[in-house]
Amino acid sequence: MRVYILKRLVEIVPTILAITFVVFVMMRSIPGDPVVAMLGDAYTEEDAARVRVEYGLDKPLVVQYGVWLGKLVRGDWGVSILSGRPVLQDVLVRVPVTLELIVLSMGVALAIAVPAAIVGALRQNTWADYTATTVAMVGVSIPEFFIGVLLLLAFSVGLGGMLPSSGWVYVPGTCPTMVCAAGLLGNAQHVLMPALALGVGRAAILTRLLRASMLEVIRTEYVTTARAKGLSERPVVLKHALKNALIPTVTVMGLQVGFLIGGAIVVETLFAMPGLGTFGIDAIIARDYQQVQGFALITAIAFVGINLLVDLTYTFLDPRIRYA
Amino acid sequence: MANVSSPIRGGSVGEADLSAVAGVAWPAPAERSESPFAQGLRRLRRSTTAVIGAVIVVLLVVTALFADVLAPLSPTANDQTQTFARPSWAHPLGTDQLGRDMLSRVIYGTRISLLVGVSSVLLALFVGVPFGMIAGYCGGRVDMAIMRVMDLILAFPIYLLAIILMVIFTPTAGLIGTMKVTGAIAIVRIPIYARLVRGSVLSIKEKEFVEACRALGVRNPSILFRHILPNCLAPIIVTTTLGIATSIIVEATLSFLGLGTQPPTPSWGWDLKANVAFIQANAWLALFPGLAIFVTVLGFNLFGDGLRDALDPRLK
Repeated sequence: MRVYILKRLVEIVPTILAITFVVFVMMRSIPGDPVVAMLGDAYTEEDAARVRVEYGLDKPLVVQYGVWLGKLVRGDWGVSILSGRPVLQDVLVRVPVTLELIVLSMGVALAIAVPAAIVGALRQNTWADYTATTVAMVGVSIPEFFIGVLLLLAFSVGLGGMLPSSGWVYVPGTCPTMVCAAGLLGNAQHVLMPALALGVGRAAILTRLLRASMLEVIRTEYVTTARAKGLSERPVVLKHALKNALIPTVTVMGLQVGFLIGGAIVVETLFAMPGLGTFGIDAIIARDYQQVQGFALITAIAFVGINLLVDLTYTFLDPRIRYA
Repeated sequence: MANVSSPIRGGSVGEADLSAVAGVAWPAPAERSESPFAQGLRRLRRSTTAVIGAVIVVLLVVTALFADVLAPLSPTANDQTQTFARPSWAHPLGTDQLGRDMLSRVIYGTRISLLVGVSSVLLALFVGVPFGMIAGYCGGRVDMAIMRVMDLILAFPIYLLAIILMVIFTPTAGLIGTMKVTGAIAIVRIPIYARLVRGSVLSIKEKEFVEACRALGVRNPSILFRHILPNCLAPIIVTTTLGIATSIIVEATLSFLGLGTQPPTPSWGWDLKANVAFIQANAWLALFPGLAIFVTVLGFNLFGDGLRDALDPRLK
């Protein structure tokens, strides 16, 4: 097992290199010059040339990428061209926001999907099943930002502005700098709508999938055996059927991470949250090369890391799956 | 060659395979009373959800085609005296901050949404399917080379790649702007079709009828496109229909982030974003473009689901 994890960790490296390199090349093929944007109106050709040398932008692409990598392995994520702040510092401030958003929205998704799928599968073709599948179909078809808008309409516009429509309050102790607002209640108020907006769509997809695999599992012989030996319904469903039905669902949850990261960009933009999503989109639009590299790196790490986690979850769900 | 290959096509495929690709280019054997295509159509018609989906899709296509006739006003005509008008007879869905009629904007928005949704999927299909077929059929180094590139695209979170591509293309208005969005979404979605087709080709190329074709000296391109491709069509058709729904969401999302087709071209995602700013006082404005996106995506999803159940019950 340990060897397997090590092997997977080594395999992660080329993927991350590929993603960051492609982003590196793509960003530099975007029309427009960030140096000109940074210097603004007081721009002269000499200044621009000086700044380019200062940030190493005069060197060939591959050399620039090599320099970026070289600094990276020493823990230096570079300095933003536009703000002058170290990229790592900016990323670290934003990680807790997005991490909380994604974890909670996955929690929301599972909390809705697991019961809905179990009811749908056990009471197939009853009104409960039809309700579950219809709601799931509707959920699959609503983009996150529209769910967000509906939530805004309900809780920020209606209900006397019960929940704040924008901004962020950190969970106490998670803010890496000294100057951010922190508080449990404030955090809950700020994270509730974004997590719902992001989670509901995932819940719909998971419900459809889990219901289908539950239906398949519930008809297998070992479930019949479990019932025949006198087990009550609860352990049959939860211990025998659900665990096996979860395997394809977990795979899809891993694949959903790409959508979750995109969804985080959208939801964070809608609710004006200071997370990685808004950081990334702002950096891409401003062509802040160093910040975009930082964003691509943290995204790639999250993407590959979660997929590794998914593969490891299989061994828990099905002990027959072993990684040598 | 045709007179040789036809009996092979009919005779070498088992009963299960035939039903799986119902609705595709299979000629019906003489003893069958109903063609596979008719079977698929019958199954499709029996499914209420598929019919609802088809009706929604047809209505949307009609709306897009006849937007000029259906829309009461121009979607881009400003009227500074009529800003933020509440829904009324003159403006059934109200007007936005520039006094533009929301109903007309929503109706014209159908065009961009459907155009990008359908054409990006078709583009991805026309690039992805041949690559997938070649990769699956040739195997070896060709397969490796093609699939590594596809894996690289897939390694990106879909929105990250689409966003960067749109920034590279620089979003603009009008038809050119729409084509840029189409291209960006298509590039992101090519690997989905390549992988899907490669998988099907890998299993189909081992079947006896392909071996028979080879033994008869049928050339590779002919084997690929006349004999193998028709057998992969069912999953391709289903994935395409459901893919349109996804593409429409991606288009709306890009527009929502300000990276889609630019104003004044009416786009639902853009309208939604623009009107969220006024949500406190004018709640209805953000509602209608969002509802339009939802109904469109729902239509394609329902139709795609029904199609899947009708064409390939094994995929259910």
